This record gives sequence, C-alpha cells and structure tokens, in this order.
Amino acid sequence: MSETSSAVPANASSAAAASRSGSEQAIVADGVSKCYRLYQKPMHRLLDSLHIGGPRYREFWALREVYLDVRKGATVGVIGENGAGKSTLLKLLSGVSSPTTGSVQVNGRVTSLIELGAGFHPEFSGIENIGLACSILGMLPDEIAEKTPQIVEFSELGDFIHRPVKDYSSGMYVRLGFAVATCVEPDILLVDEALSVGDEHFRGKCMRRLNEFAEGGGTTLFVSHDLGAVKQMCEHVVLVHEGRVVEQGPAERVADAYLKRVKMRGNDGLSFAARAGGDYPQWGSGEIAVESVELIGPGGQAARVFSSGEQFTVQTRYRVQGAVREPVFGVGIYRSDGTYVNGSNHEWRAQPIQLTGLEPGETGTVEMIVGSLPLLQGEYYISTFLYDHGHPTPVAIDHRERVVVFQVVDELHRQHGMVTLESDWRVRRELAGGEVCELESQS
Amino acid sequence: MLSLLRSVLRNRALLRDFVVRDLKSRYVGSAMGFFWSVIFPVVNLFVYMFVFRLVLKARWGDPGSDPTYPGDGSPGETALVMLAGILAWAAFAETMSRGTNSLVENANLIKKVVFPSEILPPYLTISSIVNMLIGMPIVLFGVIVFSDRRPGLELLAVPLLLVLQAAFTIGLTYLLSALNAMVRDVYHIIGVATTVWMFATPIFYPAKMVRDSYQSLGGGFGSFMLPLGWILEINPMHWLIDSWQRVLVFQLWPQWDLVFRFVLATVLMLVVGGAVFRDNRKSFPDLL
Repeated sequence: MSETSSAVPANASSAAAASRSGSEQAIVADGVSKCYRLYQKPMHRLLDSLHIGGPRYREFWALREVYLDVRKGATVGVIGENGAGKSTLLKLLSGVSSPTTGSVQVNGRVTSLIELGAGFHPEFSGIENIGLACSILGMLPDEIAEKTPQIVEFSELGDFIHRPVKDYSSGMYVRLGFAVATCVEPDILLVDEALSVGDEHFRGKCMRRLNEFAEGGGTTLFVSHDLGAVKQMCEHVVLVHEGRVVEQGPAERVADAYLKRVKMRGNDGLSFAARAGGDYPQWGSGEIAVESVELIGPGGQAARVFSSGEQFTVQTRYRVQGAVREPVFGVGIYRSDGTYVNGSNHEWRAQPIQLTGLEPGETGTVEMIVGSLPLLQGEYYISTFLYDHGHPTPVAIDHRERVVVFQVVDELHRQHGMVTLESDWRVRRELAGGEVCELESQS
Repeated sequence: MLSLLRSVLRNRALLRDFVVRDLKSRYVGSAMGFFWSVIFPVVNLFVYMFVFRLVLKARWGDPGSDPTYPGDGSPGETALVMLAGILAWAAFAETMSRGTNSLVENANLIKKVVFPSEILPPYLTISSIVNMLIGMPIVLFGVIVFSDRRPGLELLAVPLLLVLQAAFTIGLTYLLSALNAMVRDVYHIIGVATTVWMFATPIFYPAKMVRDSYQSLGGGFGSFMLPLGWILEINPMHWLIDSWQRVLVFQLWPQWDLVFRFVLATVLMLVVGGAVFRDNRKSFPDLL
C-alpha cells in the first residue's frame, strides 16, 4: 500500500504549506504524524516515564506525514475505512491530542462534534450542565449567560431542561450536546459522524444548522464513511488509508477512488468458493449437504463487493447423501442489522422447478441470478434454506444462517435507503399566466 | 510547576465552576444538605472516642508530663483534639483518593475536549478544604463550651495552615494522578495506604505515646523493643495535624519547627508532583 500512497499527495511540500499559513487558512497540518506507544504491561509505561531503564514500547503509527491545507470557509470531507486514522486526524486537528512529529496550526476556535455531551454531570439539570459545558469549551461567564437561552431553545427539551440529565433519554442527551457544541459559534467545526443520532426531525435541524454554519463562512471538517453525505456537503475530499492521505481533491473524483479501492480490496483473493458453515447456527436432517455458497459478479468471478445495478448470482453447490422427497433450495438476503430484505426459492414461482428423484451420490449447483441488483450501499448477508417440501410443513434438510457476507457500493448515489425503486417522475406546473408546463423523467 | 500554576490561573473561571459543581454535587439530592459536612466528622469522632478513649484508654497525658502537649487530658478536650485531627485528615484523605483517580474519572473530557487536566487536583483540593471549613466552627464552638480558652489572635494561623495543606495535597495529587493514569494499581494502593497512614498519624492518640514506645514496649516482653519515634520524624501529616490541634483547640501558635518542616515537604511535593504531571500531561489523552 505504501508505494501507491507516497506517489499521490497533492500539495505536499512543507515549504508551500508554511508560506500559505497566513490568515487565509483555517487549518494547516504540516507533515503531521502520530505514533502511539504500545506497551505490553502498564508497569512498563510507568518505568519508561520515570526514565528507569530503556524503552520498552512498540510503535504504532496511526498517521504518517499528513499535509492538509484547509481554506477558511471550506467544507472538507475526510473519508476512509474504519481504522484508517480518521479519528486520530480529528483529535490532532482539534488539539485534544498532540502530534508526534510535524505541526498543526489552527486559526480560530474549534469545536468538534465528537464530544457531544462530554462532561455532563448526571445529577445536575440541563441548565446547570449547559453552564459547565460552555465553560469547558472555553466560554466566558457573560457569553454563557447570553447563549444559554438559544441553547435551551434549540435543544427543544422544554421543561426537561430543569430536570437532572440522568433522567434524559439518549436522544435528549445528544440533542442538548449538539445544541451546546454548535451554539459556541466556533470558527471551525469538526464533525465525526455524530449526526446519525436523534429522530428525523432533529437530524434535519442539525443539518440545517451545519449548512447555516457553512454559509456563514465557517470552516467544516466532516469525517464519515457515508459517501453520500460527504459528496453532498463537501467540495473537497481527503481520502485516508492506513494512516496516510492517499488522495485528495474534488469530491467526485476522490469518492470514486475510494469506492474502487474498497471494491478491489473486498474482492481480493476470492478465487475459490467460500466454504459453507461457520460460526452461525445451522440445522437440518442432512440428506443433502450444501457444500458451498458463492456470490458471483457480472464477469463470472467470485466477488464480495457489488455495485448497485450489477448482475448478482448466488450459487449453491450440493451433494446428495440420502433419499428426500421434494427438496427446495431457498436464499434469504438480510441487511447487516438483521433486516430481512428478501427471501425466495425455485418453487414459489410462476414456473416452479421441481426436484424429484435425487439419488445419493448426485452433486450439482443451484443458482439464483439477479439481473440488476436493486440493493443500495451497505453491508448485507445471505442465509440459505434447504427444506423438504414433501411434508405438510416443510422440514429442514440443511438450514444455514449467515453463510456469506457481502457489500454493496453505490457509485451513482441517486437514491437513499436500502433498495432502488425504478420510478418515473412527473411535474405539472400550472403557471400564473394560465399556461401548463409538464416535465417528465423516465427511469 | 510554574507552567502548571500559570495554566491553572488562566483557567480560574473553569476551576471555580468545577469547585461550585463539586460542592453542590455533594448534596444534590440529599435532604440534609450541608449538614453532612458536620455530621460525618462528628459521627466519626464518637466511634474513635469509643475505641481509643474508652476501650484502649489512650490518654492525652496529665498536665506537664509532655512538654509539647499543652492540654489537661479531659474527655471534652480529647474529643476536640480528635475532631480537629479528623477534619483535617478527612479533607486530605478524600482529595488524595479522589485526586488519584481524577484523570481516569474525567477521561471522557480529557480524550474528547481540549481540557486543562491540571485543574483537576486543585479543584478537588479546594472543594474538600471548603468542606472542611464548614466543619471547623464546631471545634471552636466546643472550645468555648468545654474550656475557658477563647479564640484569639492565634486563629491568624488558620489561613496559613489551609494554604499549606492545600499546596501539599495538590502536589501529592499531581504525582499520584499522573502515576495512576499509567498504572491503575496506584488507586488501589492509595486505598490501603490511606488507612495505614491515618493510624500512623497521631490523631486519635497523643504523639507522646509513639515517642515513648521504646520504653513502654521494652518492659513486659523482656528484650523485645520497638522504637517507633522515627515515624513522627518522617510524617508530614503529623506536623500539619499537630499544628491544627494547637491552633484550633488550644488557641496557641503552632510549633514553628514543625511548620517549617511541613513547608519543606510541601515544596518538595509540588516540585516532584508538578514535574511528573507536566512531563506526562501531553500523553494523557492517549493514555486514558
């Protein structure tokens, strides 16, 4: 990975960064690296810190040589997989943690939405906690007094504002946290996917608040692996991979590079079929064994990452070991959170396939082919159901939960949610002059 | 130490907020409120009076038998001497215990916000000292009721002792909290050490009994001797608490040589604790 990464960084000269670090820049990170010292035993850390004996730690570089140059008023997105170093980067930029080498220069007051509700005391009321939280964020007493009514209003807590915070629901807690964090009027706002909280109404309010902030000339650094949100909000995107900035530039380009990367990596080394079975429950009488379940992409290659709209095939290989009356193979697709997306088999169809007279020793494959995968971005998994329908109620022959996990990426990002819906759109404008104007978009 | 002090002063508004919150949180949700500051030491007093005075028959000598002890050993006076010691010790021990864990407890803040962690030991210290001040008038009230001594000019030593006690506690807590951030065992060790230290400090018995331990143990068991007087020579809390007892109960100036020793101990504690805390301060967000 390191060969590709060293080639790419765009504006990576430290001299350049230094010369532009004037008042135009909100954030300048100049060759920032962060090394964590990993100790095997806490005692070793203690001895090291007291300078007794030699160093006993192992180094872990969470970030290496990051150059970042964020203009005032810009909205910059940081994307990358889990563990890529995004959160470390935020911590360094917000000044919570200090870089091992290099320097971070931040012009203006920073607040980060990583800290929603940090420092709230459960026994105190919302109002009291607002005072203390603002004080922690560095506000002066009169400033706090001035801002408190706004915070109360934004949080929509009503009379609850006078109740101890320990009585709050988690949603109320986060609402208060968000209200405090954004009412501080920072110059720079660091957002760490905190917005997946609260109900739709409040989330919309949060987004509005963030937009207002950006329009008012605030600088936003938005960390997420929700590509859609990043593309929507940011003009400039930075891609972090294994602690390095491997790509930065216009949102579209970097987001595509990221998707390519995820796909390439996900499909790496999948040349042979994954063995069925594993850590998840499976049961059945066992006359027919499911030997493997494979996912196959449009090129006929095994794959684990698919794009929305691609051909998608689930291939089950079986071996018959005993006599069965009427076996039926089925496939269930679930989203990673357990939501049941779809279930089907080869019998419940207008033209059912009947399998009868299977003899021991026979092997074969059953394929379910989806011409155009309607799933949207996310992680999904497959369970296979092999049941004998020759009984009043079907009897399990080989039922396997969660055999294969796969990911769907959605380059186009034209729809949100779980599935694509083919749809036509029609607008009929009745203009003030009496004219009628019809617009149409077909799928 | 100076850089820590500057930072604490710069963040004094926050420090004040923390102290106020802490004082409030002691009594939020409790019906008796601030009375607990008084009730707690008084109940302790009865327990220790029972054990040491009635069961173990510890006596604060007869007049004149101990040149450093000005009292007459009456029960009322014994109670007040103990109470003065309990108040000071409780404030100290509470801060030591909470302070040791303060970085770990506030990890949430230290890891997520740019937070001046150096205000934690001072705020805990100030809070406990304020709490101690609430209990202190009872001793003076007792002195007026049980003896013919009257509070006088010597009370001017009170602010001095308060500042010294606070500084000593802060220095020690800087050291312990930093160590505890690295090795959590420190907190448990402190739990045990506090008890040992309390009983090694003449709070419930006169210092004279320790100083004389050479003779008293030498008697009954033949050649078995256990001189313990050195404990008093290395225990800063003895120097402090002896001063509190003299000032509050006997309305005398403290023994200045003990005060001087305590000043030295305080300076040492501040320098060492401050240095260890400052050196590791930057790594706290990564450590916790």
